[in-house]
Amino acid sequence: MMEKIPRTAIAVYLLLALALAVQVLVPDAPHLAAADATAFIGVLVLLAIVFTAGLVIQKKDARAVTDLFLVITVVMVLWEVILGKLSLLDPLLFPGPAQVFQIFASDGQQMLYGAVGSLCIMATGYVLALILAIPLGLYIGWRRRLFDVAYPIAKAVSPIPPTVYLPYAIVLLPTFASASVFLIFIGAFWPILVGTIYGVFAVDHRIINSAKTLGLTDRQMVRRILLPGAMPSIFSGAMISLIMAFISITVAEMIAATSGLGWYIEYNHQFANYDKVIAGMILIALVVIGVMFIFDRIQRHCLRWQQTE
Amino acid sequence: MIILATITLDNLSMQYGNNGSRYTALSEVNLTINEGNFISLIGPSGCGKSTIIDIVSGLKAPTTGSVLIDREPVSGPGTDRGTVFQDYSLFPWMTAFENICFAIEHTGGCQTKTEIEKQAEEYLNLVGLKRFRNAYPNTLSGGMRQRVSIARMFSMNPKVFLMDEPFGALDSLNRIYMQDLLLNLWSEGERHKTVLFVTHDVDEALLLSDKIAVMTPSPGKIKEVIDVPFSRPRCRKSLSATAEYLALKSHLLSVLYCEMMGELAQQERNFRGLA
Repeated sequence: MMEKIPRTAIAVYLLLALALAVQVLVPDAPHLAAADATAFIGVLVLLAIVFTAGLVIQKKDARAVTDLFLVITVVMVLWEVILGKLSLLDPLLFPGPAQVFQIFASDGQQMLYGAVGSLCIMATGYVLALILAIPLGLYIGWRRRLFDVAYPIAKAVSPIPPTVYLPYAIVLLPTFASASVFLIFIGAFWPILVGTIYGVFAVDHRIINSAKTLGLTDRQMVRRILLPGAMPSIFSGAMISLIMAFISITVAEMIAATSGLGWYIEYNHQFANYDKVIAGMILIALVVIGVMFIFDRIQRHCLRWQQTE
Repeated sequence: MIILATITLDNLSMQYGNNGSRYTALSEVNLTINEGNFISLIGPSGCGKSTIIDIVSGLKAPTTGSVLIDREPVSGPGTDRGTVFQDYSLFPWMTAFENICFAIEHTGGCQTKTEIEKQAEEYLNLVGLKRFRNAYPNTLSGGMRQRVSIARMFSMNPKVFLMDEPFGALDSLNRIYMQDLLLNLWSEGERHKTVLFVTHDVDEALLLSDKIAVMTPSPGKIKEVIDVPFSRPRCRKSLSATAEYLALKSHLLSVLYCEMMGELAQQERNFRGLA
């Protein structure tokens, strides 16, 4: 069992130890000396714990996990040495890791509330889009006449970036939250709709024939045959929608919000707090990773019938 | 009491396309399948065998003529006919068990969920797939998938069975196994129904059928109907050694061979005409 763990795993631990040693033993660049390094040390320890857990849980993918962490630790060490300790670039624009991670300790609560708020708005718009676009797409895909009307419209409207609607959304809708929900809804709606329509087309007509021989009603046909049959394509549409939703919410918050992830970055940018800008970017990345992970799990569960082993 | 149905194909014709390029797939097909008979349609590809199955199952409407099941005209798909296709009968997002349950649910025979599940279980056991109850079709072999399809067809308890080259995609050993399984299941009591079976395999047709309808292409027609006089239950080994079997087989092969040569010559003429 032990020999299955790749040798590079040791390199990951060594690099983490190196980062830790450098942080503790080598003094910061003089003008950054005030920075408190506990948060960064915490992050390094956390990385070691997550890596170990990853090796234990994902035994089959030990190599992939190790390679991934190797990249992360190399970036950490380079970041720490070049920017944190040697300060080779402008320290205002490119702060070291100790300074950036300290933001999570000092601004943690504000950032957490911002993230939760952004996610709530996003989830509302996204779920609304799913609820409307999937049934509509199934029906359009199933009824040729409806498709002939809907398809040219969808083709013309879907490439318009959702942020184009922002000026009207802000004027017409009473709160920032409702305007953002609308924006995310619009952005997420089209990819899901198009994905669903194509999904219905992709259902093998021989399977539809087989379903017809069972004498299904239209409703049963849509729910039990077309919906699961279109599911792979619905998921690829929903994935694009999710990315669109992230872009929409961040841009909307940068322009018009008073809280949230995008606002946090934009607000601190105005005060030239680039350490906070980078911390905000890291937080967004973490949130995206988390949401994508959940999405992937749901997709794998819903499409478990596609696996062939 | 077991009620057996008749299938009557009454002067069926099928044409595709509009006036400019009309293509006749079937022309004046007449065939009566008596109660409890097993009839095979055999012929080269493109002779309209599958079109007949599509019309009888109600998926396609004939241009003229009609299909009668127990003197009732067919007007669309329905669960009084159980159909098995070559490899596309099952829904890939349902497990073997769910596929059968789903079919039983829609026949309206069983009412409660436990009744449906009990029956599905029974038919899954019957085809020897008890262990694969919760497997998705993608994880099953082609032969296993067809076993589930056949279990589904039997479980629906329809008036008649329609099978469109059900073993066409299987390797020859699997095919032999499936033919024997089908014969065993079909021979017994209430599972004995009227069958319309499409194949391009002469041995398969001879082993399974009471009658064989030989079809010819362009336009699709029934050229002749041959009685298969062997008594049941049939044994593959002893049957294929009899003189009568060999005579029938060689007759069928020569008819099909002639048709195929004619068809090839026709295609060649068409090709020259185009060039």
